[in-house]
Amino acid sequence: MLGKLQHHWPVQSRRDFFTRAGSGLAGMALASLVAGDARAAKDALGARKPHHPAKAKSVIWLFMEGGPSHIDLFDPKPKLNELAGQPMPASFGKPITAMGTAGNTLMGSPRTWKQYGKSGAWVSNWYPHIANHVDDLCIVRSCWANGLNHVGSVCQMNTGDILAGRPSMGAWVTYGLGAANRNLPAFVILTDDREVVGGPKNWSSGFLPATFQGTQFRQGDAPILHLKSPKGTSTERQRSKLDYLKELNERWSRDKAEDTELEARIQSYELAYKMQAEAPEAVDLSRESEKTKEMYGLNDPDLSAFGTNCLLARRMVERGVRFVELYCGSGSGWDAHSNIEGNHGKWCRVSDKPVAGLLTDLKQRGLLDDTLVVWGGEFGRTPFNEKGNGRDHNPWGFTMWMAGGGAKGGRYVGSTDEIGLRYQERPCHVHDIHASILHLLGLDHIKLTYMHNGRAERPTIVGGGLINEIWS
Amino acid sequence: MTFPRSIPIALLAAAAVCAEPNSTETKAAENKPKAFTERQRSWWAFQPVAKPALPAVKNAAWAKTEIDRFVLAKLEEKGIAPNPAADKATLLRRAYLTLIGLPPTPEQTQAFVSDASPGAWEKVVDGLLASEHYGERWGRHWLDLARYADSEGFKSDETRPNVWRYRDYVIKSLNSGKPYDRFVQEQIAGDELFPGDHDAIVATGFNRHFPDESNAANIMQRRQELLNDITDVTGATMMAMTYGCARCHDHKFDPILHKDYYRLQAFFANTRIEDGAELVSSERKAAWQAKQDLWEQKTADIRKQIDAVIQPRYKTRYQERLTRFPEEIQAVLNMPAEKRNPFEWQMYQKAKAQVTFSEADIAAMLKGDDKARYNELKKQLAVFDKIKPAPLPTAQTMMDESASAPPTHVLAVGNHEAKLYAVEPGFLSILDPADAKVQPVDGRSTGRRAALARWMTDPSNPITTRVIANRIWHYTFGRGIVATPSDFGAMGERPSNKELLDWFTYTFVHEDKWSIKAATKRLLMSNAWAQSSVFNEASAEKDPSNKFGWRFERRRLEGETIRDSMLSAAGALNAKMGGPGVFPPLPPGMTTRGGWLANEKSENTTRRSVYTFVRRNARYPMFEAFDMPDTHEPCARRNQTTSSTQALELLNNEQVVGWASKLAQRASNDSGMTPESRIERAYRLAYVRAPSPDELKSAAAFLARQTALVKDGDAAFADLCHMLLNSNEFVFIN
Repeated sequence: MLGKLQHHWPVQSRRDFFTRAGSGLAGMALASLVAGDARAAKDALGARKPHHPAKAKSVIWLFMEGGPSHIDLFDPKPKLNELAGQPMPASFGKPITAMGTAGNTLMGSPRTWKQYGKSGAWVSNWYPHIANHVDDLCIVRSCWANGLNHVGSVCQMNTGDILAGRPSMGAWVTYGLGAANRNLPAFVILTDDREVVGGPKNWSSGFLPATFQGTQFRQGDAPILHLKSPKGTSTERQRSKLDYLKELNERWSRDKAEDTELEARIQSYELAYKMQAEAPEAVDLSRESEKTKEMYGLNDPDLSAFGTNCLLARRMVERGVRFVELYCGSGSGWDAHSNIEGNHGKWCRVSDKPVAGLLTDLKQRGLLDDTLVVWGGEFGRTPFNEKGNGRDHNPWGFTMWMAGGGAKGGRYVGSTDEIGLRYQERPCHVHDIHASILHLLGLDHIKLTYMHNGRAERPTIVGGGLINEIWS
Repeated sequence: MTFPRSIPIALLAAAAVCAEPNSTETKAAENKPKAFTERQRSWWAFQPVAKPALPAVKNAAWAKTEIDRFVLAKLEEKGIAPNPAADKATLLRRAYLTLIGLPPTPEQTQAFVSDASPGAWEKVVDGLLASEHYGERWGRHWLDLARYADSEGFKSDETRPNVWRYRDYVIKSLNSGKPYDRFVQEQIAGDELFPGDHDAIVATGFNRHFPDESNAANIMQRRQELLNDITDVTGATMMAMTYGCARCHDHKFDPILHKDYYRLQAFFANTRIEDGAELVSSERKAAWQAKQDLWEQKTADIRKQIDAVIQPRYKTRYQERLTRFPEEIQAVLNMPAEKRNPFEWQMYQKAKAQVTFSEADIAAMLKGDDKARYNELKKQLAVFDKIKPAPLPTAQTMMDESASAPPTHVLAVGNHEAKLYAVEPGFLSILDPADAKVQPVDGRSTGRRAALARWMTDPSNPITTRVIANRIWHYTFGRGIVATPSDFGAMGERPSNKELLDWFTYTFVHEDKWSIKAATKRLLMSNAWAQSSVFNEASAEKDPSNKFGWRFERRRLEGETIRDSMLSAAGALNAKMGGPGVFPPLPPGMTTRGGWLANEKSENTTRRSVYTFVRRNARYPMFEAFDMPDTHEPCARRNQTTSSTQALELLNNEQVVGWASKLAQRASNDSGMTPESRIERAYRLAYVRAPSPDELKSAAAFLARQTALVKDGDAAFADLCHMLLNSNEFVFIN
């Protein structure tokens, strides 16, 4: 226990606490107070060394919100098709489900399945484009989570806990590594036009300082709130105002040279000004070639919204954004309680080509080597039917995959039982997945701590182990 | 291979990691007496609070009050000289922002600066403590601790329509100078201790502020989570003890036993929410009932017909939702009331809400002829609206289900299905190992919370008394004598001046009779508080973090106070108090998520920030950027971060730009039209002081430059005012 705690830094004073926890910017030093972990250094967003050599520099998390059906996508279950129409045999263990459907009959998968690539991994005909990339995918088929409902499960996939209030993974990563590009947010969220269940709680910094929270990019040329100068204010006028502000602030600081927070505020305005210039450029797709746009599906009206987000994600990691979280079907889109054919048919089509395009594009630009792409939902779906043609939530066994950033492609980790209800071999809890993602980024989930309410809190709470099979 | 058939098994494995190296203790299903170590028993926070004698000091002339004696004695011990006093204008602004969260006007400043009488300062302090804005400022501190929000959280984040009455209760209580012991008693057990007192009923909302999921599938797990929330909040807020660490095992650092967690939880084991608590006298209720009866009589026939449309759909809806529950919950819902035991009542109360629907819920599901018929009948019913009395005001509260409580068990790793052994309500074993003495109240309530409230407000309680005294110090000085106001344990900070904390605590309880205002006044009247914030190298060398208080702690204002101060400087603040939360505009590009009122009345967009609706899943962006706590757990000490998001908020937010224009107009209207007189007035409004000649020159130069640029003198002056509002001098308390 003590070994885990040595990374907390004792708070010597309120000022010390806040200074180290995140107020300072741009490398101000206050030598007398330097102590403890570099991660809690004064320059909250300054780039920091990882705990061990990193394989990935950034993460693109493709969040299929609502829960995609693993048994209709990556985890074929012939036995399920055999038992279709019958009640689930008691040997599988009846779970409590969100909709009380565990007594319903099993429902087979009408998909056709093929093996792809050198690795021969199975993918259903719902994902024909992604299927061509299986040799780059490490497919984890034994994921499990704790929540039954969307809000708790989406929250857990982001923060480790089904109860809101903890920092999200992107916030932990930013806390751990700092920003690689100070003129853009380090942690960016892209969504469809609907709200993610639970909303901004999912990219909150929780008890970490607000500096580390995610920034939701909005559509259009002003992706960040209040990015544009006030109406009728030219760049020149804005700059002139800021010059005057600097004058005011510097004059007031003259006899307060020791106060790094004052300097940090001066710097924050300069950063905001740079962000005003750089963020619109980051989301400006006009210089992308027609070929690239086509690859992401931008010419197909059904695909263009998600495709645009995928393309934006590439542009972000290119510019040093640390963590991009990209929701597909935000607001429980994939939640196929009924008519899974229609529902998944739509969302698979929406996501297949853009995700495949993203993988291709990252690879051809040499970005896939240090960008970890994660695909998955908050849970999978049940083998028994709901309302005759849908599936209920399944947190007991589901599939996620990773590509690039040190994840070895063309392999499986773990398995589910014969009908895909529960994990069978090599269970991978959400905490294990989080620990492994952090590991690839060079962060040790045990050492990455923040003192809160008397406990050295870490991203994996009290659990988490590395899924070594992903990279070794 | 073990399947995760339910969450618990997996959690057991996970928790073993947390509990290591002594995880075996979690398996011990017996209630063994625990021997505390000498270090634990002699821990400072558990020792009785005595009134220390005033220490001797060398520089007796500096020590204006008893507080000063203690502060100075410590500084002299460390060889540090206190800072000289701040100038009068700085001091006045400091007092205004600390006590009421608004800056003084130029006139108020002028009056104070020119008042040389010996009682001038005390007059200011008394005036501010008597101001109604005091409760708005200090109420916000308590709302941080109460994790107050106007919505449920989780997926739907539904509005809690009457919870704002609790916010108003807090503001009103602070303004009226309610003693802290009574304030706590009302919030923990107002229903048991002060039946019939409407304020005390509203106060029980304190334990109602947990985030909640209205359609949770596993309701007994949800119940456990709510009880955990209440236990953690009570432990942290009232006792500054990190009880949460003892949920799964004995606390690793503090003498909080695993069973102590559940002993505290047991006080709340029989509670349930009551969201329809009526806040009217029996006479008013009778008068209302008479009107209601008349309306019911006149509309009986129409309502019967409406019922005939609604009921069939209601029944199918009920059945649909009912069958989602596991069989044991269905059985509890269906059994006769008299058969339910206390635990089943807990199940029932949690489940009932999910199978209860309003007429509007059902009406929304009607289709075709039913819908047409329903709409027609509603029209007929509406004819009688003029004789229908308005609904009675209600509050969202907590109460006991009945006089007997379900058993509380110590839970292995906090899992509600892994019961170890039963416990009765009790306090920290190290202070009192016996069960709490509990007397049921009138056969309707267990009286458990009353016993807890009495213990917490016992003048001889060493913890709860020190905790609130330290909080008062924290909110006044910006740093508590214990720098971790909600952690008095081993992982928290030690008091920087234990004698001072004890003296202040003792006088607060025994002489100031739990009056927060009286205690705060003691601090404001001290020389310690009046020190300047100027840096001193020699002092800093000995005490770099200002732990011993040799200077005033300069700090950034909270987002709410920045906004209120801008509104106030602009002369645009709407001072109306109380009522349901209001919805100032969201930034452009942000959808009105989760029910943010898009077309709020304009006068409501300039109310004080404390009245802004608190949507749990989406805090108001300006406050969020400036570290408003997230309302999922208590916040004792706000973070103070600096980010470019904050800069964008103040720089490009059209509302702020609008307030800057108003400030510019106000400064122009108040003064002559020469650039210098306008600048001087703007400085006085924003900074509570006049500009130096140098500043005047620099401002005039900017004004000329900006006027040439935008070809509009007024716009240029508004730009100047805008930058004053953005500047460090404006957003820091100095």
